[in-house]
Amino acid sequence: MKRNSIDKLIQLAFLEGDITTHGLYEQTAVKRHSKTPATAKARRKLLEKLEAGLKARQATIAAPLTLGSFLRKAKMEHSFTTSEIVSRVGISANIYRMLEQDRLSPLKISVVSWRRLIRVFEVPTDMLAEMIRRTYQLVFFAPSYRTTLARYKQEKSRAKKFQVLEAAARELYARADLVLPPEEEQKLSDFIKTITG
Amino acid sequence: MGRVTNRQIVEELKNGDRKGAGHLMDAYQDRLISEAVSIFHIDSLDAEELVSDVLLSVIQKIDSFKFTKSDGDFHFWVMTIFRNRIRDHVRHETLKGGLMERFEESALENDQEYSGTELEVVRAVVRQYETSLHSSEKSADDPRTVPGKLHVIAETLDAMETWERVLLRCRALDVPYEDISQYTGKPVSQLKVYHQRVRKKFVKLLSEHYPELATS
Repeated sequence: MKRNSIDKLIQLAFLEGDITTHGLYEQTAVKRHSKTPATAKARRKLLEKLEAGLKARQATIAAPLTLGSFLRKAKMEHSFTTSEIVSRVGISANIYRMLEQDRLSPLKISVVSWRRLIRVFEVPTDMLAEMIRRTYQLVFFAPSYRTTLARYKQEKSRAKKFQVLEAAARELYARADLVLPPEEEQKLSDFIKTITG
Repeated sequence: MGRVTNRQIVEELKNGDRKGAGHLMDAYQDRLISEAVSIFHIDSLDAEELVSDVLLSVIQKIDSFKFTKSDGDFHFWVMTIFRNRIRDHVRHETLKGGLMERFEESALENDQEYSGTELEVVRAVVRQYETSLHSSEKSADDPRTVPGKLHVIAETLDAMETWERVLLRCRALDVPYEDISQYTGKPVSQLKVYHQRVRKKFVKLLSEHYPELATS
């Protein structure tokens, strides 16, 4: 359909949310059929992208990053109270609260208590291991994070504030275990093999 | 194979079922590309990319979606994401300086039924929109939260009769006359005749918001 400038102005107002068709446009769109279906290649490409998105979303849901986030979620899902958990795991309520807030090193909890916790929440051991590792990192770096924050707050000029953040980020990146995309990982492994081989 | 319902698509996506991604693509890819190209005049390559971003957004945000009334809720939700994405695309084009071109080529010069002043008014609205986008970009505000860039259009439409308003809004988005007829109670043949007339009335009313152009 040939559209003139008035139609385009009204369209623009519709896109900007200044006017609405009260659902008539959306109802029409559902009935309209495409005259030029996407090519098989475009469909394949999109499907790959969507499946990767779905997988990434599942991975985020399946693996809470830290013990604190896991415990808060698991407590709700199992409808447990704090007192129920502490009596079954054998730790004090204070210690449990600190674990929930990711403020306590997981190494401070006895192995026996960890085993009980695995049974209570039926958590896979490899997932727990990953959460323990992340929480340990978090607790280990918390003081340095607080120092950075205090230094950041102290600085008056924007440039200095930026320098503080940049230095902290550089230090973090140097220490962090950052996962590279598969093709970059491959490139790096090949390069290292060439040097060492 | 039977038609897959929206409820089924949503359930599959929420459960992380790969079939859901396929069903979502089957239901929306062609339809949205076609809308982007034919209704909003987006280049077909950009439209493909834009739609793939829309569908990926649907997957990423699926947990926040809930059915409240009917199976159609999902369609309206997808269309809202689509509309916002088109708006962002148009804003991006505008900031690059391409919006006026779109209007020029869409026949400002060929709109012979309008007077020179009225065409100037259309240009003024477009320029006003461009300016408001540029200024909201310069300020730290999120452009999405800056309201009423085209409020003048809404005000002009409000000054018209309800059926005229519906006709203009719906035809700009290619809603068939038959559907508009059901909504307004006007016969189809009458609507076709009135459309041009109502468009002209709209431009005239719009001009009243720009008295400086009328006297120049």
